[in-house]
Amino acid sequence: MGNEEKVREIIHRVIDQLNLQLAADQRLEKGESTLLFGEEGKLDSLGLVNLIVGVEGGLAEGFGTAVNLADEQLMTRQDSPFRTVGSLVEYVASLL
Amino acid sequence: MGVADPHRCLLVADFNLGNFAGLLGNDPQEPKVEVIGTPYGQVVPVLAPESGGWREGPDCCLVWTRPEGVCESFGRLLAGERVERETVLGEVDEFAELLLDVAGRVKGLFAAAWWTPFLQRGRGMLDLRPGVGVGDVLLRMNLRLADRLGEADNAFLLDTRKWVETAGSATFQAKLWYMGKIPFGQQVFAEAVRDLKAGLDGLDGRGRKLIVVDLDDTLWGGIVGEVGWEQLKLGGHDHAGEAFADFQRALESLNRRGILLAIASKNEERVALEAIAQHPEMVLGPDDFASWRIDWEDKAQNIADMVAELNLGLQSVVFIDDNPAERARVREALPEVFVPEWPADPALYPSALLGLRCFDAPRVSDEDRQRSRIYAAERQRRETQRRVPSLQEWLDSLELKVRVEELSAANLPRAAQLLNRTNQMNLATRRLAEGELREWAEGAERQVWVFHASDRFGNSGLIGLTSLECLGKEVQVVDFVLSCRVMGRQIEETMIYYSSQRAEEAGAKRLVAELLPTAKNGPCRDFFARIFAERDRVNRFVRELGEDLPLPSHVELTR
Repeated sequence: MGNEEKVREIIHRVIDQLNLQLAADQRLEKGESTLLFGEEGKLDSLGLVNLIVGVEGGLAEGFGTAVNLADEQLMTRQDSPFRTVGSLVEYVASLL
Repeated sequence: MGVADPHRCLLVADFNLGNFAGLLGNDPQEPKVEVIGTPYGQVVPVLAPESGGWREGPDCCLVWTRPEGVCESFGRLLAGERVERETVLGEVDEFAELLLDVAGRVKGLFAAAWWTPFLQRGRGMLDLRPGVGVGDVLLRMNLRLADRLGEADNAFLLDTRKWVETAGSATFQAKLWYMGKIPFGQQVFAEAVRDLKAGLDGLDGRGRKLIVVDLDDTLWGGIVGEVGWEQLKLGGHDHAGEAFADFQRALESLNRRGILLAIASKNEERVALEAIAQHPEMVLGPDDFASWRIDWEDKAQNIADMVAELNLGLQSVVFIDDNPAERARVREALPEVFVPEWPADPALYPSALLGLRCFDAPRVSDEDRQRSRIYAAERQRRETQRRVPSLQEWLDSLELKVRVEELSAANLPRAAQLLNRTNQMNLATRRLAEGELREWAEGAERQVWVFHASDRFGNSGLIGLTSLECLGKEVQVVDFVLSCRVMGRQIEETMIYYSSQRAEEAGAKRLVAELLPTAKNGPCRDFFARIFAERDRVNRFVRELGEDLPLPSHVELTR
């Protein structure tokens, strides 16, 4: 399995966990184009924090690598990797 | 378990409880909970009765705080300052007063015991040393809080440590704290949700009351019909045998909390009972089982028969069997019965049993502890009934004594338990917490009487309750509750006889009873229809006082 596929699995697992605590209308699909954070994104700031911590934890477990995603600039820039599931997969895989 | 109205739970915390609130509100298991959130970090104002959350009518409240969040002196202790223990405990007392005040406003108050990830190793080898250790102070804080909350019948301290142990390394994620003010990971919150719901079920009287166990490879190792009881794996110097014995000890401990035991086994009854009576390592004996069906019939049918015999509901039952096919059959045939998945390895049996959350109850009364003995006596009564030719002769043979007393602080816990757990002989099916029942009884023109029964087979304990309200020339029977264990011995008539006497004393001319019909209280409706001569409207029964209603001849009634 390539890194990108493995990262996608990790993110999907985190989404499953997040959905357990999200209200019905905020729950996330696991499609690549699912909007996560930012304009029309379903996650609020608490949701984003949970996503970041969950993905970082999954990466540490899956790759033995400490990755820091909690970067203010990353979250707010126009082409933020947190925009969609697909963009997050791509960004994280590029760090590995 | 049937569907109940959702609880409305006010969540109060000094940290971000959003993740927990989401898990609690989304959890599909009964009982459902509607979450009433409050802003975090404002514990004291939010607990005040005038704060907004209370206007939404919560019936329960969870308060989860960090010790340093509500006890300022503990924060200083964490920072290395020298602080007198009594100073910290004084703050705990102040906090406990707030919580006790909240307990007066809800059916159930739950507080999470204090635990702090920031303690780390504390002061190492000195951490639990009195006068020096921070861990020592934290333990004492929790003990003090537990003691103080024990002053209210409906206030409970939940053990955070168990949630933390289950979550292991996922307990605390520093980034979650620093970015979101969330001190616990999802696993801790998930465990907390399960414990809170088990507590709510317990408060609702929905805890399971009967464990039906299989025998071969469940209560002991091996097939008794094939190897004989002498060769069973049970106790001794064998790891599986020890595990089976420990499993029996775990069942025994639940039995002592008032959970009944029964057997459903495909076996020759004579062979199985011989094993139970003869095997030297058996922890449980025949008298520990309220009932058994040991034959080759369908287990689901046998369970249903035993449940009817014991006057329980299927929603009271847990079925434990090592055989997945039997578990599947019972799940399919009796969906109200809880059939936990069961480990294949007997070494895991004791922890699988003790890990179940379905037995939670707000208290354990003396009668709970004696319940098995009461049911064993009941089995003897049934055997006598089969031998004696007529009902009256059987009743005469019982030497039945009924003692009545007013509701008091001493009998209030059991009275409330009876009121909240009884379904069949229950006129109004009112569910009241102890405080609510006491408060109701203190109202003008009201009386609440409780009834105890005993006979030559044993003491059945507090088994009945009537509450009366004088309304001029009428006395209304508001509650009429009798344990199903003793139905049919004319204790019902005795309770009406006594209530009529009290009503006459109060100057009333008639006794009225309004039945609130439920799916289960048909026996109560039938009884009132038989004893009360008339109805002035549907489900309202009227009995003119002065009509002949003697005390049943086989009953000795005392006060």
